[in-house]
Amino acid sequence: MKRNLAWKALEKLLLIFLVLYILLPILVPLIFSFSRRWTDIFPEGLTTQWYQRILSKPAYYRGLMTSLFVAITAVSVDIFVCVPAAYAINRLRGGIGNALRVVFKILPLIFPPIVVGTAFLRAFNRPPVAWSGSLVLTIFAHATLGFPFMFRNVLAAFQTIDERTLSEAAASLGANLWQRFRYILIPNVIPGVLSGSLLVFAISMGEFEVTLMIAGFGWKTLPLLLYRSLIDDVRTASAISGILVATSVLAFLGMTLISTYIGAGRMRGIERG
Amino acid sequence: MKKIPHEYVFLIPLVVFMGLFVLYPLSCVIAQSFTDNRTGSLTFQNYVNIFTQGRFLLPLKNTIWFAGACTIVGALGGTFVGLLVSRMSASLRNLVLSLYSIPMTLSSLVVAFGFIVLLGRNGVFNVLLNRYLGLPKFNLYSWHGLLVTYSFYNIPLMTLTMAAVFLNLDRSLVEAARNLGANGWQVWMYIIIPVLAPGFLTGVSIVLTGMLAAFGTALALTGMAMRLFALQIYSLASESEFDLPQASALAIVLVITIVFTLFVLNWIERRLKPAE
Repeated sequence: MKRNLAWKALEKLLLIFLVLYILLPILVPLIFSFSRRWTDIFPEGLTTQWYQRILSKPAYYRGLMTSLFVAITAVSVDIFVCVPAAYAINRLRGGIGNALRVVFKILPLIFPPIVVGTAFLRAFNRPPVAWSGSLVLTIFAHATLGFPFMFRNVLAAFQTIDERTLSEAAASLGANLWQRFRYILIPNVIPGVLSGSLLVFAISMGEFEVTLMIAGFGWKTLPLLLYRSLIDDVRTASAISGILVATSVLAFLGMTLISTYIGAGRMRGIERG
Repeated sequence: MKKIPHEYVFLIPLVVFMGLFVLYPLSCVIAQSFTDNRTGSLTFQNYVNIFTQGRFLLPLKNTIWFAGACTIVGALGGTFVGLLVSRMSASLRNLVLSLYSIPMTLSSLVVAFGFIVLLGRNGVFNVLLNRYLGLPKFNLYSWHGLLVTYSFYNIPLMTLTMAAVFLNLDRSLVEAARNLGANGWQVWMYIIIPVLAPGFLTGVSIVLTGMLAAFGTALALTGMAMRLFALQIYSLASESEFDLPQASALAIVLVITIVFTLFVLNWIERRLKPAE
């Protein structure tokens, strides 16, 4: 009995340790970014001046805008590519659909950022496609890294509502193409598209490896600025980290809200693996 | 003539996108890996270099060891938290799993920053350990440091997979086995492990393949000091020792290693599946 109790206590302690292990590195940049100084054990003073520095210094402000622009554009590209494809694959029962599902599952594993970066460097820096150093390349690289995740979210949405049966039922009740689109597809698939968008947006905002390899000198995103400021400007580094932590947390909260209240089914696409 | 379903039209954007951003870059890399950096002629030398030169063999060896260690820590930690979480009340479980979902989209640089503040040379924990307990400081800028930092990603990844697996474990199966006289070892060997194995191996394959290609956090923390395979590719592709054909050959070797790893794990999974 006593041994059992000790075991239980040890289990609790380990769990608390493992929760703090994840919680602290997420919280620390936020605390750091709002504190005046943190050189000893505890942070001192409350301030927002490090965030103001990002807004007032042109280089950082430009980085923030570049990141937002890249993320929004990459999300748009992924929506344009994935929504029609998920619609089609959900309808095409059989070989192609299943094959593509497997492909999207293992694609991010087989082509990790280092391979995508090398491949993009090689493929798009000379004719026929010479984009090297331009923002276009960064946008498409982020879209490439994100589209398996967008695809899985959207396909999950199509599958949960059983779009095909619903559309056929609506058609038999006299709904025309526009009505089916407006009243069945849009409301039911939007939660999946939104979840996928939040996920791709968060991935794009935080992407470092590929961006470092392909981005031109004039187009530094927030993570690239963070990489530099880790060494020479810890204060700004903390504010950039704060923005990126907030992006990840908010994106995740958004996805949770969507799956709980709008009912996109289970958050199947959320795992990045 | 057989009618082509109109649904295929909707696949066009995807096909164009994948062709342009997956197949085309990849075929470029394959072609590039067989060319000489200076003359541009056809050669196998880039591949020969990888398996004969110390500057490539050492990172390859390091990466296999490091990825293995990271996978073991991730698998143990993730399975442990997954098991505990599956026994919690639903609300507490959701709280922990929510927290564990955040690392997946968190930038590798933010994580590096967080760990520098906590465990860097003058990090909070190092000051605490050193001043009040008199212990030596933990060196974040070492293999151990990288293991601790990457586990921030790997433990949650594994936890999310294992929590789902433990929640789906049918308790009545275990009870039935017990009633039929199976002892603890037999229950684990014949009931629990075969049920857990597919999810466990999926988690392991995600963590292991991710770690084989990891370099972002390592670059941010230790620069080029820790010689990882992916760092070597990065260095050849976009830093001082510019040699894109050699980088391409290394990238192809990495992809083949990953595919082989996935293949082996898949084979083990099929072997472990209970006979139907």
